[in-house]
Amino acid sequence: MKRILLALTLAACSWLPVAQAEVQVEDAWVREAPPGARMLAAYLTVNNSGAEDLVLVEVQSPAFSHIMLHKSEVVDGVARMVHLDEIVIPAQGSVQLQPGGMHLMMPAPEARPSAGDRVPLVLIFADGNRLEVQADVRKKP
Amino acid sequence: MLKPEKTRFFLPLLAIIPALLGALLLTGCSAPEPPELRQATLLPVAKAVADFRLTDQAGRPFTLDNLKGRWTLAFFGYTHCPDVCPTSMAMLGQVQRNLAKDPSTGELPQVVFFSVDPERDTPELLASFVPYFHDSFIGVTGAADEILKLTRQLGIIYGKVEGSGSDDYLVDHSAAIILFDPEGRFRALFNIPHKPEYIVADLQAIKQYYEATR
Ligand SMILES: [Cu+2]
Repeated sequence: MKRILLALTLAACSWLPVAQAEVQVEDAWVREAPPGARMLAAYLTVNNSGAEDLVLVEVQSPAFSHIMLHKSEVVDGVARMVHLDEIVIPAQGSVQLQPGGMHLMMPAPEARPSAGDRVPLVLIFADGNRLEVQADVRKKP
Repeated sequence: MLKPEKTRFFLPLLAIIPALLGALLLTGCSAPEPPELRQATLLPVAKAVADFRLTDQAGRPFTLDNLKGRWTLAFFGYTHCPDVCPTSMAMLGQVQRNLAKDPSTGELPQVVFFSVDPERDTPELLASFVPYFHDSFIGVTGAADEILKLTRQLGIIYGKVEGSGSDDYLVDHSAAIILFDPEGRFRALFNIPHKPEYIVADLQAIKQYYEATR
């Protein structure tokens, strides 16, 4: 059993570069937290050039205790945030996480990242693939 | 069958049109037309606001009097909000910088961040949060019922989200920016999505209209 698992893991790993070539992340950035803010948001664009939908299920980072997939929406003039279990990036398509829409949300760490810093984000997909990207910390609207 | 009904309805309408046109022309000559606006909704009649007692980020009282004597742009949010609130506040920072560059601006409006989460948003917290977006910005918080006293008059609504943790709760809140005139009256609102260049242009147009119609 163990050997099979190992073999499967190896197979998965050998597939990794191929799968990753089909996923590209652009413009990953973390909003610099205003002083006093306890929550941070991060944004990025995921492009999927593959023939199959990709499902983003989790994002991790050594810089943050945990990261939530969130979406802001305005309904009848009222802004609210909803939790997302996953974000689907359609085959041959892309999804933008951007201010006022889908975003990554995380508690601000003790050592606050400031504009100019870079923090790693690891995107984890439903098929087990992981993709590490560097996000710039920016102060921008 | 339906036709005669329709014609009967239509004829009196036709008769009204010259009268309407006449009325339009008359008002056109006597009073300036409300400005064409790109994003703002101008209230047909400015709405007087009843007094409220809140506190600014320095711990000083902030009441209706603080809305008088200059134009005010107000946003209602909370500091634990990482997406919509900082986006709107940064946008308002841009508005303020654009206005400062425009020689026709005159006195800059005051920009006030009213907290809809007074439980967590203390004056001290606002003192560090609000000036980050522009050093002229004012943060206001206070007793929950006093905030409600103001927001109810403006149609601003908000509420804690049930089910979120005791200290990590989210707050749903109106995303609109409210404009008060120098008499402290509710004059216009800007709905989302906010564009700084539209807000600047609309604010200048509303100010001109206000001056021309006083
Ligand atoms: Cu969020």
